[in-house]
Amino acid sequence: MNLATATTTVPAVAHAPIDTAGLTERISIRGLNFYYGDHRALKDITLPLYASQVTAFIGPSGCGKSTLLRILNRMYDLYPNQRAEGHVTLDGEDILSPKQDVNLLRARIGMVFQKPTPFPMSIYENIAFGIRLYEKLSRHELDERVESALRRAALWDEVKDKLGANGLSLSGGQQQRLCIARTVAVRPEVILFDEPCSALDPISTAKIEELIDALKAEYTIVIVTHNMQQAARVSDFTAFMYLGELIEFDTTSKMFTAPGDRRTQDYITGRFG
Amino acid sequence: MQPAGRRDVVDLALQGGAAAAGEAASRSKALARLQFGDAAFRHLTRAAAFGVLVILGGVMVALVLGSLPALRQFGFGFLTSQRWNPVTENFGALAPIYGTLVTSAIAMLIAVPIGILIAVFLTELCPQWLRRPVGIAIELLAGIPSIIYGIWGLFIFAPFLQETVQPFLISVFGEVPVLSSLFAGPPYGIGMLTAGLILAIMVLPFITSISRDVFEAVPPVLKEAAYGVGCTTWEVVRHVVLPYTRVGVIGGVMLGLGRALGETMAVTFVIGNAHKVSASLLAPGTTISSAIANEFTEAVGDLYTSSLIALGLILFVITFIVLAAARYMLLRINRRIG
Amino acid sequence: MNKLYAARRRKNSVTMALSLAATLLGLGWLVLILGVLLYEGFSGLSLRVFTEMTPPPGAAGGLLNAIMGSLVLTGLAVLIGTPIGILAGTYMAEYGRHDRLTSVVRFVNDILLSAPSIVIGLFIYEVMVYPMGHFSGWAGAVALAVIVVPVVVRTTEDMLTLVPDSLREAAASIGLPRSLMITRIAYRAAKAGMVTGVLLAVARISGETAPLLFTALNNQFWNSNLNAPMSSLPVVIFQFALSPYKDWQALAWTGALIITFAVLALSIVARTLTASRKQP
Repeated sequence: MNLATATTTVPAVAHAPIDTAGLTERISIRGLNFYYGDHRALKDITLPLYASQVTAFIGPSGCGKSTLLRILNRMYDLYPNQRAEGHVTLDGEDILSPKQDVNLLRARIGMVFQKPTPFPMSIYENIAFGIRLYEKLSRHELDERVESALRRAALWDEVKDKLGANGLSLSGGQQQRLCIARTVAVRPEVILFDEPCSALDPISTAKIEELIDALKAEYTIVIVTHNMQQAARVSDFTAFMYLGELIEFDTTSKMFTAPGDRRTQDYITGRFG
Repeated sequence: MQPAGRRDVVDLALQGGAAAAGEAASRSKALARLQFGDAAFRHLTRAAAFGVLVILGGVMVALVLGSLPALRQFGFGFLTSQRWNPVTENFGALAPIYGTLVTSAIAMLIAVPIGILIAVFLTELCPQWLRRPVGIAIELLAGIPSIIYGIWGLFIFAPFLQETVQPFLISVFGEVPVLSSLFAGPPYGIGMLTAGLILAIMVLPFITSISRDVFEAVPPVLKEAAYGVGCTTWEVVRHVVLPYTRVGVIGGVMLGLGRALGETMAVTFVIGNAHKVSASLLAPGTTISSAIANEFTEAVGDLYTSSLIALGLILFVITFIVLAAARYMLLRINRRIG
Repeated sequence: MNKLYAARRRKNSVTMALSLAATLLGLGWLVLILGVLLYEGFSGLSLRVFTEMTPPPGAAGGLLNAIMGSLVLTGLAVLIGTPIGILAGTYMAEYGRHDRLTSVVRFVNDILLSAPSIVIGLFIYEVMVYPMGHFSGWAGAVALAVIVVPVVVRTTEDMLTLVPDSLREAAASIGLPRSLMITRIAYRAAKAGMVTGVLLAVARISGETAPLLFTALNNQFWNSNLNAPMSSLPVVIFQFALSPYKDWQALAWTGALIITFAVLALSIVARTLTASRKQP
């Protein structure tokens, strides 16, 4: 059970050796299984997630990529009859341990969802809300934090004159950036994106992708996407999943030019999925 | 393990991304503060949920304890005796039980077909723009306080029945065997028939709104299939909608019945408050709830009070069974419709 | 035309005409009841109704103490019943959505929702009035609160269940503890519906008479002492309407008018609140 003794070699999945020099393994997933009741949705997943890199999970729908993402911040805890077995560590700390405080964990591992989910309150409050939870700040400091979060989400210029407006009054793309700002404001170390652009138009999608690129310097980023071009554009590493199994994990450039597995190749070239 | 090297390249305005070592500590401190409230809130909601059970349990226990003296004194005979004599302290529940069942039966006999027909109108015939206003208007009938039905029944409806409907019923059915005894005696205006009619108006909206809801939940393909083979609207209702929603409609009817059985004020005004079992619907009678409403504050002596509480217990048991059956049926239809 | 088909058409026309007639009948009753109320009640409506106490027979007077009593009893009942109802509904929709306690509570709550209100009056008489030795405003308020609880439980559970899980997940994703996720996010999203529930509960109890008859009883005068019997509009209407005095009966009609329109206004406001919420 002690993870310090677990080996930190790259996972036993079909791929050419990755040059890991200069990379820090932020999150390690080892031998992970996940169950919805009796249904085993993930099978023996082993995967590293590197700091300051964008890792994309791709695969046909139902392959378990979103399930895997939602294990990383224990989102499945909200629902009964769902359980994970195996080891997932963040900086060596066991995420799946029952002793792990999930709220603290989620403050460290932020998440942006498929559909924009602004809270039913003002734009300002949407962001200030999460900050106030963990920090006592003066009005001035809070204003600064809100502004910096909105700037980082490239939304400041569009909303600075209407911070009191309801978050739901924004357009879909703006709402999604508001959600990113809200996530960033809590100062997480890892940000999980669950198909963040699937409900957005191409222009909003481009903005979010730029944003992910800008954010990756500071955060470990994981993105689930069903859009292969998007995975190719934004990610450094790609994991291809199929029927609950991790088929292949490699650098994105390698994956999209010379995939090691036949199924990966079929999926990337659009032959199934 | 921290990506500290990255820090200095980041624009200063964007400062503060990854958590510093101290931050996690301060966060867990903040969280510890919240944790107590979190657990407290959880337990509070759980306690409130138990509170709902306690209320029902309390009602049962209070009624049983309160009615013990009467039940000890009269035993099972309490249910079968129609004596009700405060002077000799001799009480029996037959007349109120009879009155309750008869008035509710009259109410259901009238309200069920009318209520269902209104629901048919609302779901099949009514133009779309008129559905909401008509639906709301019918539901407003349910919102009118029962005491209003009572005062209206006493001053407007009862005199009207006394002058027109009841003499007519007496003259028409006077010669018919069986029915003549149902409509025997002078037209008082007030009485079991009047109470039943008022109850019919009161439960009508319950039956209509539940029937409408379950009718609307019938999958359109089923109806379309029937229309597709040339069924008329009525045939679709009769052979597709009603069979499909039968359980739900019965549930709605039971809910209305529960209402009619327990209704107090409207009935108290027009029932006449006579503790006797009479075959004629035109005769004054009493119901469980109106007996309690009329007599409880004036009841002297423990046995009198206890007998009235025992009436309340009987009412509660009857309505409990009816309502439980209604809920069970509505649950079944909901499961079917998904 | 085919004979059989003609018969079927005729049958259809008859039943459809019947359904129209039934609807007109239902609407007719509503109009009739409201019309009579307006006609009988409006003539007695004057400033005096709101400024003077209920009179002895044969004297002039108003309904001030009854109106005040109703407001106090209703207000107290809502203050007592709403928190319990909201908390219980919260447990059912948020913490125990799938557990056994919730299904039992839901069943029991549905029974309470339609339990005869006179039985609630008996219950409170047994647990409050009898032990305390006297009728009181408190007893009346608690009796009404017992009626408020199931209404609020039901709407709270329904409305919280409508809040999408995605919003809960979003709240959880920034590290919000469950209680804050509920009180700050879910409540806010379900606000309109929950307010509707409370309004419907107010509408329900402001016309309730039966549970007050032997709890709050009645009082000829206004008093602010909740330990003493307290008058209320429905009970005064009951007493005055059944009296042989013409001026008392007239006041009963006026009281009936006031109560009905207050209740109908409340339920219409409540309905529009949820209607506007459903629009988007």
